Amino acid sequence: MLPDSRRTRVLWSVSLALNISLLLLPFIFKFDGKPHADWQQFLGRFHPLAVHLPIGLLVLLPILEVMGGSRHSLREAAEFVLGLCFACCLGAAALGYLLAFGSGDAGAGVTRHMWGGIALTFCVLFCVLARRAWLAGDAPWVYPGLLASVLVLLTWTADQGGALTHGSNYLTQYMPASIKRLTGLGAAGRAPSAGSFYVRHIDTVFETNCVACHGEGKVKGGLRLDSYDALMKGGKDGAVIVAGQPDKSLLVVRVTLPTDHKQFMPAEGKPPLRPEEINWLKAWIEQGASPTATQLAGVFIREEMPDLPLQPVGDYSAFMDDIHRMAEGQGAKLVSVSSKPADGLILNTVDVAASFGDTQLAQFNKYAPFIVEAELGRAAVTDASFATLSRFTHLRSLHLEGTAVTGDGLEKLASLSQLSYINLSSTRVTKAAAAQLDSLKSLRHVYLYNTPAQPESAGNLVQPVARNTP
Amino acid sequence: MGLPIPAGLKQEWAALETRRQFLGRSGKVLGWAAAATLLGSRGLTGDAHATDSTGRQSSQDELRMPQFAPKAKRAIYLFMSGGPPQMDLLDYKPNLAALYDKDIPDSVRGSQQLTGMTAGQARFPIAPSHWAFQRYGQSETWVSDLLPNTARMVDELTIIKSTNTEAINHEPAIMLMNTGNMNAGKPCLGAWLAYGLGSMNDNLPTFMVLQTKTNPKENNQPVSSRLWSSGFLSSEYAGVGLRSGGDPVLFLSDPDGVDREVRRKMLDAVEQINLQTLAEMGDPETNARIAQYEMAFRMQASVPELTDLSKEPQSTWDLYGPDAKEPGTFAYNCLLARRMAERGVRFTQIYKRGWDVHADVTGLLPVLCQEVDRACYALVTDLKRRGLLDDTLVVWAGEFGRTVYSQGGLSKENYGRDHHPRCYTTWMAGGGVRRGITYGETDDYSYNVVKDPVTVRDFNATILHCLGIDHNKLTYKFQGLDQKLTGPVPANIVPGLLA
Repeated sequence: MLPDSRRTRVLWSVSLALNISLLLLPFIFKFDGKPHADWQQFLGRFHPLAVHLPIGLLVLLPILEVMGGSRHSLREAAEFVLGLCFACCLGAAALGYLLAFGSGDAGAGVTRHMWGGIALTFCVLFCVLARRAWLAGDAPWVYPGLLASVLVLLTWTADQGGALTHGSNYLTQYMPASIKRLTGLGAAGRAPSAGSFYVRHIDTVFETNCVACHGEGKVKGGLRLDSYDALMKGGKDGAVIVAGQPDKSLLVVRVTLPTDHKQFMPAEGKPPLRPEEINWLKAWIEQGASPTATQLAGVFIREEMPDLPLQPVGDYSAFMDDIHRMAEGQGAKLVSVSSKPADGLILNTVDVAASFGDTQLAQFNKYAPFIVEAELGRAAVTDASFATLSRFTHLRSLHLEGTAVTGDGLEKLASLSQLSYINLSSTRVTKAAAAQLDSLKSLRHVYLYNTPAQPESAGNLVQPVARNTP
Repeated sequence: MGLPIPAGLKQEWAALETRRQFLGRSGKVLGWAAAATLLGSRGLTGDAHATDSTGRQSSQDELRMPQFAPKAKRAIYLFMSGGPPQMDLLDYKPNLAALYDKDIPDSVRGSQQLTGMTAGQARFPIAPSHWAFQRYGQSETWVSDLLPNTARMVDELTIIKSTNTEAINHEPAIMLMNTGNMNAGKPCLGAWLAYGLGSMNDNLPTFMVLQTKTNPKENNQPVSSRLWSSGFLSSEYAGVGLRSGGDPVLFLSDPDGVDREVRRKMLDAVEQINLQTLAEMGDPETNARIAQYEMAFRMQASVPELTDLSKEPQSTWDLYGPDAKEPGTFAYNCLLARRMAERGVRFTQIYKRGWDVHADVTGLLPVLCQEVDRACYALVTDLKRRGLLDDTLVVWAGEFGRTVYSQGGLSKENYGRDHHPRCYTTWMAGGGVRRGITYGETDDYSYNVVKDPVTVRDFNATILHCLGIDHNKLTYKFQGLDQKLTGPVPANIVPGLLA
């Protein structure tokens, strides 16, 4: 017995010692935002790989324990798996620390992820302890409770880690709009046309290209680019912006190096800045790097609200027979936007416009959620069609030009959260009727040519701004 | 029931039948396939079910829709046949004025082989543009005084100064622009689009061609149906031309004593006979013929409506100008192109000839620009105000550019310009491309591209991309190759042009 219990004691002491040294690491070698030895980065980069082993084992563990109730061999195996888990956690956490320290990562996200990992390692160690008591019949709830909290902690830590590698909106970017609304994640981005040149353009460039590594979550090289103050403060090598001197501004230098240069930014094979983005940066620095200037001389940027990302429309394979039948005959048709079914369907009535009225439209009710474009130009539809159209929940584009609609009841379309284009040209829609569209947040393009709402105009004359004679 | 076809001819046809045709027909009763085709089968043919019910080849069917959600659903291509002189229109070279009648440096011309028309010239004197340039719009783009209306819409345009081609003579160059190959026999852009995307309106052709009446004052190079041919694709994808004068489509109206009913019965009978021939011979071109008979029948109703301009509001005429009332003018064709876009024609190509200004540039360019400038502006503006520019791509291009040096005598009053393939200026507008930018740069002589070259293949690949097609995936097996518009040399879409 003695050798066994001695071995156990030694094993325990070593485990605890390792765990405590892991805990102390961040206090001894503080994250200073500077990269350190290459070997550290080399080993550290195995962290994202190695970390999946303890994750898999931790998920396996409760399964073994539960199944072990009826198959005893599994419960015996669980002991071994738990031990292995702890060893792997230690290893992965150590590699993770090497990664962050070695590459000079810092930031709230990195810190959260790190403490999550360390806490997880401790919890697993306690699990080993508690499991003994649990097997002996003492404290029957401690181990299961502990295991459950390990899983919760694991999920949170993994999510933090995922946000560091993929960006914090990775999971929610393509979430269906309905779920986004439920979870309150659907808050629209800021209005792109508001604010200074810095806010509208410079900050946007950083937001899309840089902030994943130079932001709140991760602060590479001690540099944050997510606010004007942080940008001007610079990083571990000092200021990155020299107002008035783009060529001396480190930030410009780094983004204009040859793409295969070691110091080129954005690093790690991320796409380089577009040429005009670099031009905006240079012009903005040249003209004083002001946080408030709204226009820059010589820089013309057409500002448009970006198109909304396409939302998948769902599965309409049950209707494929109907859709094919329509396609083979003549008349109104549903055609695919593209070869990707989730891009949705276009309702095409151009062949039969003159005889396609509200009744015919109502027959398309059953396909309502799958129709993203309704081409009803010159069709025989009237204001009564708005009731039907309000059920086309994924509708992005609505053509009603040359129809008899007057706009009475347009407000029924307010529920169409995706609608970005509506064409009411050559109808009798008035200004007051068109005002009902104001509540549609995603609407980008409204056409009212040749209507009472917009009297005819002969196009805007662009005056020359400079003249040269030969 | 057999037709009286000589046995020898039948054998010959049988020998010509390709493996593809054989496989295509061995499915089941081909008559049904044909019937389904002429009934306008198109639609959601991406899945296996449709392939079974129509008997068409799946590899072809999968293509008949965009491969990804497109920015543009249709395109209008304004083809400036002859080669417009870029340095007189949009490629502004202010330094040239000081170099009047100086020889172009050898370092610029290099070892380039010239055409027979100027290769023998003792001197290559620089001819600066006769016209002034001004900057317009928020994009502050330089535009020649020849194009006062184009100047009004520069913020809508994507101007490409670095287009370049490999051909220096009209025929190969115009073939290359249209079909991606200098030799005849390949399908043109419009045919590829019709093949790849299918129709949006069963009553009008997918691909239509409008020729502008020639102006006898101008130097008109010939254009012909080889430019809108479907090559090795089925002939139903070829462009359908509308005549520039008289009846837009000949013999479209029923003769006296023949009404719609009689015509229908006659066509049904012809169709039966054709179906028998098809079942017997298996030549897919019979299918195309049946489809074309049916299309012509439907066009009897749709074309008169298309070309009836009586309901156009006064604002249309204010915009396009009085030329637009005269059939066959460029302005009239631009107006028709807008009406076709509204009615779901996938691709319209308008040919304007006369840009081959070897001599008398100062006499000819004002005439040409007067015909073209206002109509181009009207088309883009009209599409925009009617909400069509968002998903219509407008392309303006010739087959090459012209030389900065004068062909023949140079004087302060006049000069000539020879063909120049190394750089020429084109523009696009509308769905899928970035508005208000100029892409690419040429040297101080508008002779060589110095930044961001765009080859003809890249140009076409980019057009296909705007319409939802990956140019590398739109292929057709022929002569043992996966033929494509942009091959065989690799082509790249030009991201800098895209919205």
